[in-house]
Amino acid sequence: MPDAVSGVIALFSTAEELVDAIPEVRARGFESLEAFTPYPVHGLDKALKLKRSWLPALVMIMGGLGAVLGFLFEWWTSAVNYPLHIGGKPLNSWQAFVPVMFEVTVLFATFTAGLGMLFIFNKLPFFGNPILDSDAIKGITRDKFALMIQPVGGALDVDAASAALVSAGGSNVEVVMAKAHPPARGSWWVKTFLGILVACVVAGYGTSLAIKIYPTIKPMVEMEDQAKLDAQKADGFFKDGHGMQLPPEGTVPRGYMPILAKTPEEAGKTLFNPLPITAKVLARGRTLYDNHCAVCHGFLGRGKPLLDKFYQASPANLQSKTFRDVPDGYIYDVISKGKGAMPSYEADISSKDRWAIIHYVRALQRSQHAREEDLQ
Amino acid sequence: MSEAYLPEALRPQPLIEGPLTTGGLDDQVLQWPDKKPPRAWYVAVTITGILTLIGFTCIGYLLYEGIGSMGNNIPSAWGFPIINFVFWVGIGHAGTLISAILFIFRKRWRNAISRAAEAMTIFALCCAAIFPLIHVGRPWFAYWLFPYPNVRHLWINFRSPLVWDVFAVSTYFSVSLLFWYLGLVPDLASLRERTKSKLRRGIYRIMSLGWVGSARNWLHYEKAYLLLAGLATGLVLSVHSVVSFDFAVSVVPGWHMTIFPPYFVAGAIFAGFAMVVLVLSVVRRTMHLENLITMTHLEVMNKMILAMSCLMGYAYLMEGFTAWYSSNTFIRYIFGNYVWGDTGWAGCLTICCNVLIPQLLWVPKFRRSFPVMIFVAISVTIGMWFERFTIIVLSLHRDYLPSAWGQFHPTWVDFGILIGSFGLFFTLVLIFARTLPVISTTEVKGDLPGAHPRHTREGGDHA
Repeated sequence: MPDAVSGVIALFSTAEELVDAIPEVRARGFESLEAFTPYPVHGLDKALKLKRSWLPALVMIMGGLGAVLGFLFEWWTSAVNYPLHIGGKPLNSWQAFVPVMFEVTVLFATFTAGLGMLFIFNKLPFFGNPILDSDAIKGITRDKFALMIQPVGGALDVDAASAALVSAGGSNVEVVMAKAHPPARGSWWVKTFLGILVACVVAGYGTSLAIKIYPTIKPMVEMEDQAKLDAQKADGFFKDGHGMQLPPEGTVPRGYMPILAKTPEEAGKTLFNPLPITAKVLARGRTLYDNHCAVCHGFLGRGKPLLDKFYQASPANLQSKTFRDVPDGYIYDVISKGKGAMPSYEADISSKDRWAIIHYVRALQRSQHAREEDLQ
Repeated sequence: MSEAYLPEALRPQPLIEGPLTTGGLDDQVLQWPDKKPPRAWYVAVTITGILTLIGFTCIGYLLYEGIGSMGNNIPSAWGFPIINFVFWVGIGHAGTLISAILFIFRKRWRNAISRAAEAMTIFALCCAAIFPLIHVGRPWFAYWLFPYPNVRHLWINFRSPLVWDVFAVSTYFSVSLLFWYLGLVPDLASLRERTKSKLRRGIYRIMSLGWVGSARNWLHYEKAYLLLAGLATGLVLSVHSVVSFDFAVSVVPGWHMTIFPPYFVAGAIFAGFAMVVLVLSVVRRTMHLENLITMTHLEVMNKMILAMSCLMGYAYLMEGFTAWYSSNTFIRYIFGNYVWGDTGWAGCLTICCNVLIPQLLWVPKFRRSFPVMIFVAISVTIGMWFERFTIIVLSLHRDYLPSAWGQFHPTWVDFGILIGSFGLFFTLVLIFARTLPVISTTEVKGDLPGAHPRHTREGGDHA
């Protein structure tokens, strides 16, 4: 495919000559015109009958979109997805969202204005423009004003166009040829640029990989390795080598009484339930029983675990005669110290709560083994 | 022109001295990127480079050793990093003011200085960005400042002024960079066609994106530039206001004041203009641009500095008045402490450098005198740094509880990083002066006599 004529271009030395030449050239029947200037010339858009730029409308839309999206995002993160009370303010404290909303609006609008102008409206970057390869471009970017007659429907009478430009006062008339294959991608500098880009990415990734594999320098060592004992790590400070020490022998936590009895049987003889049987105590006992005990002993205390398919042990049947007959102190001792597969609940349930559970267990037993007088 | 009815003193001064053609302007301004810099430039860049290196060595030491190597500690936890951050963000404001607000107001004198001022905005923001990063303690987690979906299912707190600050400053930087680059594109196209060097031509070719300067290009370009200027106007006023919210939204006496946003913006423009005068008065001499950046330009900027200085004086007085009128013991004490306290010399120095010395500029002769304007610009730069020192360190070190009072002791790391930020700023300015056009030739070309067709000029309202 041969090179096509992209237009005939002529240079003018002042802006006024250029603007005056446009009607003259147009009078000769050339309608498709384009002008090139080193700076924006006032009145040129009118002379060329250019349409208004739609950029402001687009910027307006995108700015509005930025405002809406910015606010919605702030509202969604602060009030819906991660609601966090801060300083007693309402979750949708919209006044505090205004600064960021404003910045997002400006960001959307400016980037639409700047990049939209370059990429959408002017279709840049474009390195295949035949003007770039013409002789006229040197003058255009310096101090000359150019007018180009473009072909209409692919046809242009080059001689007539040249004559029209000359008679309108143009000089340095030149036929601009569009190359069949614009050298947009194959040029050496595009390759160089891409090469540098690829090299940067490779080098950056390689460096980050190297740092991950060989972390030779630890930044801010003073922050990470502080002169203190770490709770879960070994340390030479104490004789046993542990960072965290156990409390001294015989330490009693607050709210917990040590059980002096050695066996459950002994406890059954010495410990007695101090709580009165009230609706409140039973309700408390029920809550705790359901939370802590029911998973193994069952909600009715029949010793059928809720997870029996997975659980191999056989928990005690609290409805059995044995457990109906043992004293309260016996059960208290078992909850506190554990028995068989059952662990100690001393750390999880306070002493008072354990007694409340026992009252509730008694109530459970009575519900399944009612006495004569209960039925009357 | 329509200003003929004005008295002599109010008529606009010619903005370009001597005869100048469009091509001559290119030859004068665009010759520099192609020229080998003189020895003085190499000496200057070596010095600033060494200062930068000192700064980055200190930062490296800081990262290795930990945040404790800086002087900030309770109660003055903000210390040098935040002083320097506010200082450098402020310096940047003059650039956007010149390029955006003065563009909206059609002040033609901005055209010759906008490029350099915008570049200084960007470099100042580069310097500013260092400080919050090192101040957060663990800069490798700095991305936590931005909202992104993460495995912890957390979002940042949008009610926090510090988050507003992140958004304001990062938006400001991106928009300034875009604005600056858009202005550069036609100039880069001119450079692309001028340069003899194949490598430079390739670089300029990519950076100018294939700009040909067609009427359609310019139509959209002018619209975009105007829109950006309008948007940047709102932005520049918001950024330092948001920075001031970091202080004003807290309950620290001396910070919790409604005057802070306008007062910070005025201070920022003040410091920025001083830096622009400082740099441009050197640039115009060394690069022989006296006919383009004329004494008229510098005089206008000096008038601006004077006006801002009076505003600062008013703001200081108003703060003092508010402290007195509030009858609040703590606020009254803090303001007394600014001037009469242990570190009161900082407050006195601030008032002297920011309010008293710039009053010299009332004298027309001084506004056009090179040594005086340099002296004033340096004193304003020092004064504005100490103003932030006063606000940040002196407010924090003696707030409500006397048992929690403490003194602030900066370390050599603090000073090293401060020096390094100045080194970085001037290194970038020096490199910019020799690689990119320091004056926007496109904008100045449109200002030359006979640049536009007569009939549109008569009917039009273009200044």
